Amino acid sequence: MYLVADINVEICAAKSCKLCTQYCPEANTILYSEEMGKDKGFKYGSAYVAVDRCKGCAQCVWVCDNMAKNNAIKMIMIDQLPKAALTDNITYGEKSTTAVLVSPTV
Amino acid sequence: MSLDYVKFANGFEKFMPKEYRDMVEHGPFGKKVSVSQMGSFKEILEEHPMCAGCAMTLFIRLAMIAVPNPEDTIMVGTAGCGRLAISQAAIPFVYGNYGDQNGVASGLSRGLRLRFGDKPKDVVVMAGDGGTADIGFQQVLHSWFRKERFTTIMLDNEVYGNTGGQESGMTTRGAVLKMAPLGKKFEKMDMLQMAKVAGCAYVATVVPNNPRRVESVIKKAVLIAREVGSTYIQAYTSCNIEYAIPTDKVMEDAKTVENDRYQFSEYVSDEAKQYLAERYGYKEFLPKPAAPAGAIPNKA
Repeated sequence: MYLVADINVEICAAKSCKLCTQYCPEANTILYSEEMGKDKGFKYGSAYVAVDRCKGCAQCVWVCDNMAKNNAIKMIMIDQLPKAALTDNITYGEKSTTAVLVSPTV
Repeated sequence: MSLDYVKFANGFEKFMPKEYRDMVEHGPFGKKVSVSQMGSFKEILEEHPMCAGCAMTLFIRLAMIAVPNPEDTIMVGTAGCGRLAISQAAIPFVYGNYGDQNGVASGLSRGLRLRFGDKPKDVVVMAGDGGTADIGFQQVLHSWFRKERFTTIMLDNEVYGNTGGQESGMTTRGAVLKMAPLGKKFEKMDMLQMAKVAGCAYVATVVPNNPRRVESVIKKAVLIAREVGSTYIQAYTSCNIEYAIPTDKVMEDAKTVENDRYQFSEYVSDEAKQYLAERYGYKEFLPKPAAPAGAIPNKA
């Protein structure tokens, strides 16, 4: 098993700084969805991780903890994640993306 | 070269991978995107084999977003880590022999001007510190002295990272590396001064811990290279393997190095300032309005 980044939607949707999307070295790995926080009553959307592309470097964790000071990202073993986004289930829209969350391990 | 080169041939759409379809339909081609929109559009860069947490990858990712017209751009590179990611993008990539990237780019840039005339076609060289300052040094300097109109970007990780950690001209004095155990005995080469002496119209240093600055610097450099002359960007992109930086501390290291020896600096020639202001409306380079007659100067 290996570590991947996991973003806490409740903290992220309350702040929505989008810094992690700009500092991830991998392309299209940390994505932003305007709808992700809406169902929980938050004003903004949330960032999320396409776990099949995450290499587990934890740069986003440092950025979230030290630059944004939100502490919303943690590294988690992939089999401990009940549901996560995978590239195949991500749809791009005009200004945002939507993801259907599924179990990352089969 | 046009927008058509990324589109599907008739009937092939359903056979293309999802990533390719996303890129054609929701990629940055033909529209303006910026780093503030990252995470909401499909990027040109795809998955690549570079190390986890590599700052060079982050810089390349930002650079791919920053180029003003990705559909009219050709990247030129050479041996080194960078080509592993640059080649995995939907921008044509020319892989020169080690060190000849600026020679290849000179010919390419001239050829594109002959073929397409005034229509801007951008050539961007992205090579490591070994390719730019050591092995390709002669061709780099000559292309600058000839005022070839393309952008040279040095991905400066201060080591030959791809081959096990030998010292390069850009390694700092005293640095001890796996294949340079006695420590480097000479100073880091001052490529910025050399670029200015050689007549580059735009010279800048940048560190990828400020994505907006990276974007702005690359945009300016590519636009100036269209008509004014050579442009040079030197980017600090640490090698977390050879310098043993924990991957989650890469940005902390970038900040430390920025404060130590990589402060942001930007040199823009007068001609380039005038060009950016007149052609692309850069307000900071517009001539300051003269004080109206009879105005009382402020006293300090």
